[in-house]
Amino acid sequence: MRLLVRLVRAGAPVERTGDVPRRARNEVSIVLGQRKLLQRVSPGLMHAFIFWGFLVLAPTILIALIGVVDKRATLPWLGHQGWYAFLVDLFSVLVLVGVVAALWVRKVHRPRRFEGSHLGEADLILAMIAMIALTLLLWHATRIALGLNEWPRGASPVADALSRLFARHGATRVLERVFVWAHVLTILTFLAYLPRSKHLHIATAAVNVWFGRTGAPGRLEPLRFDDENVPEEEIRFGAGTAADLTWKQVLDTFSCTECGRCQDACPAFATGKALSPKLLMMGLRDQVLAGDSDPPTPLVPGAVSEEVVWDCVTCGACVEACPVSIEHIDHIVDLRRHLVMVESSFPAEAEPMLRDVERASNPWGKAQSERADWAADLGVRVLEPGDQAPEYLYWVGCASSFDERARRTAESTAKLLQAAGVDFAILGPRESCTGDPARRMGNEYVFQAFAEANVATLDAAGVTKIVANCPHCFNTLANEYPDFGGRYEVVHHSELLSSLVRDGRLSPRRSDGLSITYHDSCYLARHNDVLGQPRELVSAVGEPVEMKRSGKSTFCCGAGGAHMWMEERAKPINLERVREAAETGADTLAVACPFCTVMLDDGVQSGDADLRVVDVAVLLAEAVEAERPADPVS
Amino acid sequence: MSTLVFIDRADAELSAQALTFARGLGDELHAALMGEAAASAPDDLAAYGVSVAHIAEGVDPYAPAAWAQAIVELVERTAPAAVVGPGTDRGNEVLAHVAARIDQPMAANCVSLTPGDPATLTRVRWGGSLLEEARLHGAPMLVTVAPHAVTAETVAPGSAPATVSASPFTPALSDADLVVQVSERAGALAAGVSLTDAEVVVSGGRGVGSAAGFEVIEELAGLLGGAVGCSRAVTSAGWRPHTDQVGQTGTKISPEIYIACGISGATQHMAGCKGAKKLLAINPDGEASIFASADYAVIGDLHEIVPAISAEIRKARSG
Amino acid sequence: MNVLVCVKRVPLTGGKIVLTEDERAISTRHLGFTISPHEECGAEEAIRLVEAYGGTSTVLTLGPPEAEEQLRDMMAIGVDRAIHLVSDGGEWDPQATAAAIAAAIRAQPASPDLILFGNESADAGNYQVAIRVAHALGLPCVTGVKGLSVEGGAVRCEQEVPGGRDLYEVPMPAVVTVKEGLNLPRYPSVPGRLRAKRKPVEALSPERPDPLLEMVRLVLPPGSGKRAEVLGRGPEAAPAVVGVLRELGLV
Repeated sequence: MRLLVRLVRAGAPVERTGDVPRRARNEVSIVLGQRKLLQRVSPGLMHAFIFWGFLVLAPTILIALIGVVDKRATLPWLGHQGWYAFLVDLFSVLVLVGVVAALWVRKVHRPRRFEGSHLGEADLILAMIAMIALTLLLWHATRIALGLNEWPRGASPVADALSRLFARHGATRVLERVFVWAHVLTILTFLAYLPRSKHLHIATAAVNVWFGRTGAPGRLEPLRFDDENVPEEEIRFGAGTAADLTWKQVLDTFSCTECGRCQDACPAFATGKALSPKLLMMGLRDQVLAGDSDPPTPLVPGAVSEEVVWDCVTCGACVEACPVSIEHIDHIVDLRRHLVMVESSFPAEAEPMLRDVERASNPWGKAQSERADWAADLGVRVLEPGDQAPEYLYWVGCASSFDERARRTAESTAKLLQAAGVDFAILGPRESCTGDPARRMGNEYVFQAFAEANVATLDAAGVTKIVANCPHCFNTLANEYPDFGGRYEVVHHSELLSSLVRDGRLSPRRSDGLSITYHDSCYLARHNDVLGQPRELVSAVGEPVEMKRSGKSTFCCGAGGAHMWMEERAKPINLERVREAAETGADTLAVACPFCTVMLDDGVQSGDADLRVVDVAVLLAEAVEAERPADPVS
Repeated sequence: MSTLVFIDRADAELSAQALTFARGLGDELHAALMGEAAASAPDDLAAYGVSVAHIAEGVDPYAPAAWAQAIVELVERTAPAAVVGPGTDRGNEVLAHVAARIDQPMAANCVSLTPGDPATLTRVRWGGSLLEEARLHGAPMLVTVAPHAVTAETVAPGSAPATVSASPFTPALSDADLVVQVSERAGALAAGVSLTDAEVVVSGGRGVGSAAGFEVIEELAGLLGGAVGCSRAVTSAGWRPHTDQVGQTGTKISPEIYIACGISGATQHMAGCKGAKKLLAINPDGEASIFASADYAVIGDLHEIVPAISAEIRKARSG
Repeated sequence: MNVLVCVKRVPLTGGKIVLTEDERAISTRHLGFTISPHEECGAEEAIRLVEAYGGTSTVLTLGPPEAEEQLRDMMAIGVDRAIHLVSDGGEWDPQATAAAIAAAIRAQPASPDLILFGNESADAGNYQVAIRVAHALGLPCVTGVKGLSVEGGAVRCEQEVPGGRDLYEVPMPAVVTVKEGLNLPRYPSVPGRLRAKRKPVEALSPERPDPLLEMVRLVLPPGSGKRAEVLGRGPEAAPAVVGVLRELGLV
């Protein structure tokens, strides 16, 4: 245990102390309330029974220790309470139910999420837990049989019933001693074994939850390159060896229970890629425990293979699923940061994107002078230096500026804002990539150069409110630019458009026959909690129908984490998602992200699904157009 | 005054274009040919208006400085108004050596030239995406001709010189002139034309429909001596290997012409082919975004159009 | 061995080219800058040769003050030192460029064993600066090289020609112009970039003589910026397509 504390304390610094009320709330809901575990009802309840059982039964350890020494003594006050005896009775049974359920899950049901986990160890632990609960019940039963119960008879119905098995004679007296000793010894064995097993999470999970992120999940922790007081050899460029991991990352590895909920939710794993977030944590933990070597073993490929690092789409499904607040994306990004920034080693096909972002200010190397071409005939104001700032700056993003399919979103958004009389303007050629694809690839350095330049442009233009139609730009502007001094009120176009519909400034015509299924973008739903507004727009134009995985449980389109610029191995993620969308029977697959638009439209075209992939803004613009009375002039 | 044209025998077509370009710059058209094997060539030159063919001997195999020295001797001996070379690698290299040796300016890849003092010319910059109008303050005028800036034309039958007088000579070379000389000719590294280097790339996209559908694409590429490319959708579908992919995550190409068949024009694809000088798109959807970047468009089914083009090429070549 | 590589800062043109008011340059208001892919390969080769044989790699440019950015880019991937011939930003013709470069190389305390250039610059494409520099320094020059190795005191060069490769073996010191494809230039590491920021750049200010190849103005080629010319619908368009191919000299 001391070793673990030492290893955690040796980790690189990261700020996780502020915001105590939020941490306390997390502790109550995630640990005490078992909120994350109960995302899956039956295994969640199974775990909750055992966990709550441990909390309720904790004082019985003292009671039993006292009982070992003196069979006529107990804990003052509590040992005499009937209600407590009832709770102990109830939770001993619930723990046993939990253990049986757990064994059923592991032995009969055998879900895929346990692939690669230490299963034998779990069996031993479950046997010990069962033993603890069972010996407690039997000890209580023999005490009742012997009349040694300090608590009112009848308060513990199960122990009462069991007590009928025991006569009031010598054998029971011996059995009472046997059960209390067995109970206490099992507990001691359990405690001794704990630090060596995955059940260490009993100790680390609550701590890890406390130190979990309290801000936006979509924000990455910035690195600092510009501090002149830090010598070059001490600058952190992500994680190259175990020594580079932050203390929270080390704590993450020790908190992993190998439950595999992350792996189950992972789109990369689901489509046959090498990545399993669970195996990633286990690999890192093994490397941390292996200790120092000279020279230090690189984490990639020592603990984690290169494929694993690049398979991740940073969708956050694993982070959302993790019951103990492990932050897998931070690990992946730190591994990428080291590979890209120190080793210059990454999938070759992504190099043009990295170079184009840096040189041409957009990931496709398009001419910046053509950035506002889509708006040329729409009368959209292009903000020149010195111009009066608009109420909203419309941040169009590279995809909607340059990609032919995504441009329709920009056109529709601009038309809708004009129709609603919103005062807005675009930056045109002065808008650059936010740096997001470079950052998600691991090039923090290039990202920061863009963050600083864009913040300078936005501040000089006097921008206070921004509307963005790309969830990746939105996430970066809203959650990451404050780290670089850029503080703006940022909304996603679905948020602004839905409020305009609500206020009656836009009046769409609803088509009753139009069945629409809405695909949540990871960076909108999971990373930024924007769930309702795009759905309001869908409901305003047609009949919504939900996919199996939606909202915060959405399934990535395959483009996240800079995968728009990488070649995909194994089964394409977009095909899997399109298949799921087609299962709803909808005719329209609504999206709210230019990358989802491109990926899912590609998916529809390579398969036989008959779906129209379209941004919510385009749908809304069509519905507003349909409602408008015919122009008498034309 | 005469005009001297350097003939790059490795590229007869571009050399003929240089002769066509040079005609009219001076009174007489002289040709400079390198190597003993050139002795048989002069007769063909009459048709292009050449009256004298200077044949440098003792300069094989290719040695740029030696070839330049031969031309410098001719410049000293015949005092031409202009020395013109084809816009081939060797044309540009030899003329640059000549320019360095006589310390005169030289303009590479010209599309037009008007003698005068100074001469005025138009030349190609940025690989053809921009033209430059310039003045050339030097004598003789040293220029190379941009490929395909003019069409090679023979002179009218009546005005062609009756014979070409062959004038062999052995230039006086120093050892230094032969330091850089081809020591060996090796075979090509790989069979076929690589995507990066190909002058013609014929690509297929999702519209090709299947791996087998690429037969027509391969046929056309083969006829044009080009390489076959494809879009990301095609490699994702497993119809072609990733090495054939044109695009941002594939190969970036810069052919003279890019023929895109059944490709919609996704941003990621266009990032890979923006170096193409000309883009011909074949797509059934007249609204396909690729047409926004294309120079030439053919609307319709590639499975009918591409074989028709191949047939037309065969017809043109046999006829 | 000491290797010197010459590079040129050029705008990164991605789309429609727009000219400045005086038509003497490309409007670079919204453009990034780079060097040509040939030169990137030259710098990479210089670094590899020095890694293999020791010595110093040097990058040299003739360009405006902003061209320091390209020098630092090259130092970020591992070039040891940089020489900047600072110009006023005006157009230098190839003769003046070569003379300034040759003079700067002559002034170096340790003369380079190998001087690398791109086969031609991305913008002007004059195809002659390297040859003029070689002539001025009395060095041999091989152009268009796509394979390069050093054996003893000689450099072995491969040049792609139609149907094969021509091989040259030239004693050093020598000038070599290289083409894209010679190698795969590395992606700069961040420690490399941070180190490059702090390295000194040796700056010289040569005088620009009157140009003998004098640029008057730039012109956009006819037909640029137009919509696609529709050659036809269906197989009937084939003769028109062949017409286009014939114009390009392919049929």
